[in-house]
Amino acid sequence: MNHHEAVLHVRGEARFVDDEPTPAGTLHAAVVTSPTAHGRLLGIDAGEAERLPGVRAILTCRDVPGKNQVGTIIPDEPLLAEAAVHYLGQPVALVVADSDAQARRAARAVHVPVEPLPPEFDARAANARGELIFPQRTFARGDVDSAWAACAVVVAGRAETGAQEHVYLETQGAVAIPGEGGTLRLLSATQAPTAVQRVVAGVLGVPMHRVEVEVRRLGGGFGGKEDQATPWAGLAALGAWCTGRPVKLVLRRQEDMRWTGKRHPYSSDFRIGLDRDGRILAYEVFFYQNAGATADLSPAILERTLFHATNAYFIPHVRATAASCRTNLPSNTAFRGFGGPQAMFVLEAAIARAAAEMGLEPAEIQRRNLLREGEEFPYGMRMASSALTRCWTEAETRYDLPAIRRRAAEFNDAHRLEKQGVAVMPVCFGISFTNTVLNQAGALVHVHTDGSVSVSTGAVEMGQGTAPKLRQVAAATLGIDPERVRIDSTSTSRVASTSPTAASTGPDMNGHATRLAGEAILARLREVAARRLAVADAATIGIRAGQVHVLGRPAGFSWAELVGAAYAERVSLSAHAHYATPRIHFDKATGRGEPFAYHACGVAIVEATVDVLRGECRIDAVRVVHDAGHSIDPLVDRGQVEGGLLQGIGWMTMEEVLHLPSGGVATDTLTTYKVPDLYAAPDEVEVHFLEPGGEPAGIMGAKAVGEPPLMYGIGAFFAVHAAIRAARPGTDTHFVAPLSAERILAALSEPS
Amino acid sequence: MNQRIRFTLNGQTAEVDTDPARSLLWVLRTDLGLTGTKFGCGEGHCGACTVLVNGQATESCSLPVGRAAGAEVTTIEGLAQGAQLHPVQLAFMEHDALQCGFCTPGMILRATALLRRDPDPTPEAIVAGLEGHLCRCGTHVRVIAAVRTAARALQGGAQ
Repeated sequence: MNHHEAVLHVRGEARFVDDEPTPAGTLHAAVVTSPTAHGRLLGIDAGEAERLPGVRAILTCRDVPGKNQVGTIIPDEPLLAEAAVHYLGQPVALVVADSDAQARRAARAVHVPVEPLPPEFDARAANARGELIFPQRTFARGDVDSAWAACAVVVAGRAETGAQEHVYLETQGAVAIPGEGGTLRLLSATQAPTAVQRVVAGVLGVPMHRVEVEVRRLGGGFGGKEDQATPWAGLAALGAWCTGRPVKLVLRRQEDMRWTGKRHPYSSDFRIGLDRDGRILAYEVFFYQNAGATADLSPAILERTLFHATNAYFIPHVRATAASCRTNLPSNTAFRGFGGPQAMFVLEAAIARAAAEMGLEPAEIQRRNLLREGEEFPYGMRMASSALTRCWTEAETRYDLPAIRRRAAEFNDAHRLEKQGVAVMPVCFGISFTNTVLNQAGALVHVHTDGSVSVSTGAVEMGQGTAPKLRQVAAATLGIDPERVRIDSTSTSRVASTSPTAASTGPDMNGHATRLAGEAILARLREVAARRLAVADAATIGIRAGQVHVLGRPAGFSWAELVGAAYAERVSLSAHAHYATPRIHFDKATGRGEPFAYHACGVAIVEATVDVLRGECRIDAVRVVHDAGHSIDPLVDRGQVEGGLLQGIGWMTMEEVLHLPSGGVATDTLTTYKVPDLYAAPDEVEVHFLEPGGEPAGIMGAKAVGEPPLMYGIGAFFAVHAAIRAARPGTDTHFVAPLSAERILAALSEPS
Repeated sequence: MNQRIRFTLNGQTAEVDTDPARSLLWVLRTDLGLTGTKFGCGEGHCGACTVLVNGQATESCSLPVGRAAGAEVTTIEGLAQGAQLHPVQLAFMEHDALQCGFCTPGMILRATALLRRDPDPTPEAIVAGLEGHLCRCGTHVRVIAAVRTAARALQGGAQ
């Protein structure tokens, strides 16, 4: 993180949406939601609420001046419920009042009578009833049906992963401020400012140019604010539009946990076939994705599940099918990894079962099937480098995997009530939005007359460190000290038509746009310098360390002087640039193409100890070799690896979303939903970055690092699984995550 | 029923006329304009709202402001001496022990209180001392390292 930004944070001066001073007269909004998971809305009784003090307006779908619609991929999600409700917690009405307390009191006094209909919460049952968000999809290669006959071993099974609550510490929120002439300015805690702008304009029935969305920073996003920041911004906008006053809407933690979507739970059936040597010949998988009530981002998430069905392995015969099942839960949504982790878990479960059947270490099967340079993914793209196999070899030798195994075996021989397990987790993750159109970004660079520089892009800073990387890109392009560069807030008025900051693409795409804008300014400045210094060929001029150089030698002409000269010559010191990731394409009909700019990969070795009496597990160590390319900011990247794997460990071992029979979220507080605290952090986390080997990468040779490390957490499940098998040899653990203390105890006490 | 409540806030007298049952968190944020203290969960389980009350780390979301009457309250805004950051603040920066930064103010204040009580904590004591503080970005390892660095800096300063 850059120094100035860090100072703001440690002094408590960094402002999040709820910290921004609001104009005098700002009203507060609270949301009335459906008390029932599924039913016909019989009316909205706001009589009592309207008479409460401070209440300014109670708004329903009838008050929406434009389209009552917030769905992005599929328009199936009303801002406020119309005739029916489809999940418990679905927004039905908006109360606007003078104070936050008054708004919430009045919201509780609004009665929402619903004629209940039978709800569905289970993905498989929904699928059986034909309740799909969109038709199921299949990615296939080879001839899986004929391949089984050639296999020496075929095993099958079921694997399940639960929902994961984002717990971004800053809850969802927005402030809408009406301006003159029917304009509206929004401060929104969103990863997708343009999506908010588009939806709000639609809701209000105005052109997009009347809506400005600005984001300074988020207190964490993790995908949870990619699509699902939009409804709250839309509601704040509606409140402001109808009252003519600024309106703030910020969710409380329990509201956020009850009403917003999670990582999709998946229930999957797998079948895997191997030859005698442990080479995987065939793999068939069916994913049931629990989408919740509406499409949200489920179609794109499901697609990434299919892309990553074979993770880091080469498998000649594959058929992966996925169904996005409509249930009466809050719509599940993006979460770091975006459907990839769910797919990778299933294949690791299949490998673990095959290994048990064959009497091999799972790592043996993993290693023998690792994707090598030139081998093809089932979607037709080729592995462009040896980075993955190099990560494996490096992890094995650097951390001495045999010694780790030996230590665990010795520990297990010496201990009866505690057992250790070791697992290796390779990850190969495609970088780019799989929806090709989203792979574009813009940047606006201003060089001010004092030589300072401001950069606006479509990227939203949420702790992932995109801003410090963009700053380095701008500084490197212009040849100046990063201290001169400031990354501005993200605003739809400065950079329009932006893609969400998601899919780990923020630094790559916005970095390239920043570079292009910087290069445009630099080209003009070279001309100015050539004239001032009477140099014939402007191409011989460069800027390094804030000094103009001619043929590599300092010319005694500083950056600030050059900028002053350019202004005096009436040369533009600003540039906007657009970047579209080149080459990528994907044909949805054939399921083939080159959907990713490159793959980011790595390997983690995870060690865990299980307390056989209590069922508690501890992740002792995670040792990683990660491919970050030529890292622009190793400190930031290391933080992404450390943080990502901890979220993955949480997902796999302790975070469990439970529902009440009504469909309400039972785990709706931080007392009942456990995320990794300091106690849960592994005692040892080692991160080594792979020496780059010149393979395809992103901006300045760096590789995206936001999502891939989360999937190292899958190794935690299988390390615990190995420890359970050490305690009870022959136990075939059910592949149900999270592997909580209850599930560990159940596995340990199952009759063998 | 509103009451006039007075306490010392970051070394200065603060006075509010409010319902004493309101939480100190929202009085700080909305009445007194100090937004460095964050709302995280509202039930004392995430630590984002931590302030020092008479030197004790306290979850301000769970403390009725009436019970802060007469107390000495330090928020994150009051930790630095002007431009001079507190050693815990410096250590968090040195170790890059923050990502989104939302948990940082509470984490820093809790660590400050811990180091006053236990100037040379073991890593285990740091983990125990910061129990109940959540960082969803996963900076845990760095936070522990930062607190150890701060401990050394504070001890060095005392010599």
